Formats: sequence, structure tokens, C-alpha cells
Amino acid sequence: MKSYTYFPGCSLESTASNYDHSARAVMQALEFDLKDLPDWNCCGATGADVVSHLLSIALPARNLAKAQSLDDQIVTTCSACYLNLYRVNAHLAADPPLQPKLDAVLGEIGLHYAGGVRVRHLLELLVTDVGLKAIAQRVQRRLSGLRVAPYYGCLVVRPYAEFDGPDLPTSMDRLLTALGASVIPYPMKTRCCGGVLMTSQRRVALKLVADLLEPVRDADCVVTVCPLCQLNLEAYQRAVSAQIGAPVHVPIVYFTQLMGMAFALPEAQLELNANLVGSDRLTAQVGRMSVWA
Amino acid sequence: MPEKAFNLTREMLDHSFAESVAPDREKLLTCIQCGTCTASCPTAYAMDYTPRQLCRLVQVGLRDEALHSRTFWLCTNCYSCTIRCPRGIALTETMAAMKRLAIAENVEHEEKESVSRFYRSFMATVRHHGRNFEPENLIRYYISDPLGLIGQAPLALSMLVKGRIPLTPGKVEASDEIEAIFRTSIAMDAAEGAA
Repeated sequence: MKSYTYFPGCSLESTASNYDHSARAVMQALEFDLKDLPDWNCCGATGADVVSHLLSIALPARNLAKAQSLDDQIVTTCSACYLNLYRVNAHLAADPPLQPKLDAVLGEIGLHYAGGVRVRHLLELLVTDVGLKAIAQRVQRRLSGLRVAPYYGCLVVRPYAEFDGPDLPTSMDRLLTALGASVIPYPMKTRCCGGVLMTSQRRVALKLVADLLEPVRDADCVVTVCPLCQLNLEAYQRAVSAQIGAPVHVPIVYFTQLMGMAFALPEAQLELNANLVGSDRLTAQVGRMSVWA
Repeated sequence: MPEKAFNLTREMLDHSFAESVAPDREKLLTCIQCGTCTASCPTAYAMDYTPRQLCRLVQVGLRDEALHSRTFWLCTNCYSCTIRCPRGIALTETMAAMKRLAIAENVEHEEKESVSRFYRSFMATVRHHGRNFEPENLIRYYISDPLGLIGQAPLALSMLVKGRIPLTPGKVEASDEIEAIFRTSIAMDAAEGAA
């Protein structure tokens, strides 16, 4: 069984534990193992760069420095972690004076990093390395007729657009199609969910979420690849309903949860019950679809 | 908001301003004011200066006017402007640099209060454990805003019931390494006067 060095990130051990568990289960089902990077630390999210630019590089760089002795790549599920880890390599390559500064910081803790660890998002890994063919072969319950809206958010494709387009990406669309689902055209698929402004500037961010949910009110579910997008889209639907004057009650699931359903994995591994909106309806709907052995 | 007229005087202009907030100053000075950034920005609707206008303030060196804007506090870091700019200007990085500068110079603003308080709460929590611990982050953030905490309580409670809020923090064992990274990075940036 091939294994990947995995960077879970803070959300995956708390608000997105269902993402973490479903990702591990799906990879296991495809015969890949996710091995946690030992003693990993926070990537800095969007906060580190506000405190100190050097900190926003050095904090994720500690993880890459630790990873390089184990592997030549690291995989993550959170879009913010993906960006921050990827950004270390990008900034080191584009800004040579940064290297001695990073050396000074990491030198304090006996580490060194000068680029070289390839940073991957799980979506990228599944679509490019594992491949849609292998995924389709593992499907035991085609999600036929399930109308899904693929929501990518920002950081998995911006600014680096390593494996897909920054405005209208298709990798998740193709993956969901391989599961048998009907992918709804969704032009808002990479518009921002507001990120942490949902806590610090609620009024401003709520409009962004309303704009995202309004056109997909009738979908069977919206599919996400990022813990913060998932939370922002599902936790404020009552306020969004009031704002747009129409009821919004649409399940927001991780792409790994939907893969797990198509693989007919047990609910205990997918934890759809931990989602806040309408997972009962979704599991009942999928539960009626036939399973092949 | 309507375009604002200035009676420009020499004293109002700081020609080194672009350098202090744009890692790619040369590029920023080539801005042609096309407005692609503004058209791409999801929160431009709530800003006082649009991203295009803020870029112009930086170009000409209207430092005080720019730093007192709420614009960069409402930047969500979505990078839409950065990838679409026909001049290749990394405006998202400039927005972050302006946040740092406004904090360093204690420029007060209604939006800054809540946005920077959130970032500081988050980073204090990360410095403490090496990772985020949501209950601690929220307590740090809401300690000066108890009403806000009450407003957030129903969501926090349902997340707790769903098992999505842990009661104990995930910790980095080498906590001295995290502290060293924070201490050294912040000290080096400060010594350099970098924004």
C-alpha cells in the first residue's frame, strides 16, 4: 500500500473532523495510506501575514523542513494549509533575499529548508495521481440523478493554479461525474465565501454566502474542498434565508464524504451526521440508490 | 462613494510609501487604473475606496488617506485581483502589508478593531499551543465583546454536540520551537522596519 505524508492542519482535528475521517477512509478504500507529519504545527492561516511577513513563511516552513527527511511531497486537505505551504516554495523561488532570513529563523531550532518538497492538495492527488478511472472502478453505488454543485472557493486554485484553472476549474466536476452524480453548472464556484470575515465582519461576509447559496438552493448538495468554506456555507443558512427572502436548506458536504457514499463506506467513517444541514435527507436519498458488490 | 477631490500639497505625499507596502513596487507603479481588481473583488461593495482607488492612493503616495481607509481590512485574501491584474500586480500582498503598517502605527478604524482583534486572537492561540484551539481563540476574540459571544453561542453549542469542537487542544510537543519561530520572525521584521 502506497503511503503519502499528510498534513492535516488545525481545522481537520476540530471543526472539520468529518473531513479528516472521510478523507482517510476514502484513501484507505483506494489502497493509499495517509501518514501524519509528526508534530506538525499551524500553517498560520490568514493571520500570520498580518502579524509578520517572515512569520507567515517560517511557520509553514517548519513543517516542510520536517517533511523533507520523510518524503519529497506532502498532501493536505485544507485549502488554506495548501496555500501557505505552497507559498513558502513560491516565495523562496521568487525572492532570493528571503532565504537567509528563513535560515536565521529555522536555524534557531536546528532546521533548514530551501524548497524542494512538493505541496499537493488531496483533490489534485485524487484527480491526477490516483486517477478518475481508478476512482470510477471503486464506485459501488453510482450517485445517478444526484444534483450536486461543485464549490472550489479560492485558495485551492488561487493564486497558484497549480493543477487547475483559477476562475472556472473542472477537476472536482470531473471527479463528481466519475461518481455518477449530475454536476450543476455553477459560475460562482470560485467566488469567495468570506473566510474569517464571517466572524470579524459578519454583515459583509453574509452577503457573499447569500450570493453563493441563492443560485444552488435547489441542489441536492453543495460539495466543498475546504473546512472554512464548508462551515461558512452551512452555518448561516437561516440568516441567508432571511436576507434573500426565500428558504435555503441545502446540505454542504466534503467531496470525500460524497466519494465515501459512492464507495458505499459506512456512515461511521463518513460522519455525515456531524454536518449541520440536511444530511438525513441526503443519506436517505443516496441510501435508496442500489449498491453493487 | 463619490470620488474625493484633493488639494494636493507636497507635505501630503510620501514617495516611499509604495515601497513600504508593495513587495513589487515597480509593478505597482505601472497600474493603468483599469479596475479589473475592483470588478473581481467580492467585498468591494462594502469598501470606502475600491481596490483600484486604493492602488492609486499608493501610487501617488497619499499615505495617510490610504492607511485610514477600511478597504484593506475588508480584503478576504481571495486573490481574485492578483490573478486577474493585467500588470501582474500582487495586490493581495499589498493589502496584507497595509494591515501590518496600520497595526504598527496604531491607525484606528472601526473595521480594524474587529478584524485585527480576530487575527491577533488566532495567532496568540497558535503561539500558545502551536496549533489553533477554537474555544481559546473564540474566548480571546470575544472577551471584549460578550454580546458577540452570546450571539455565537448557538452555533458553538451545535458544533459541540456534533463533536466538531474539541475540549482539549491539539498541541505541538516542541512548543519551544514554535515560540522561537514567533520571537525571531517578529524581531527580525521589526529590526528591518519591514511592513
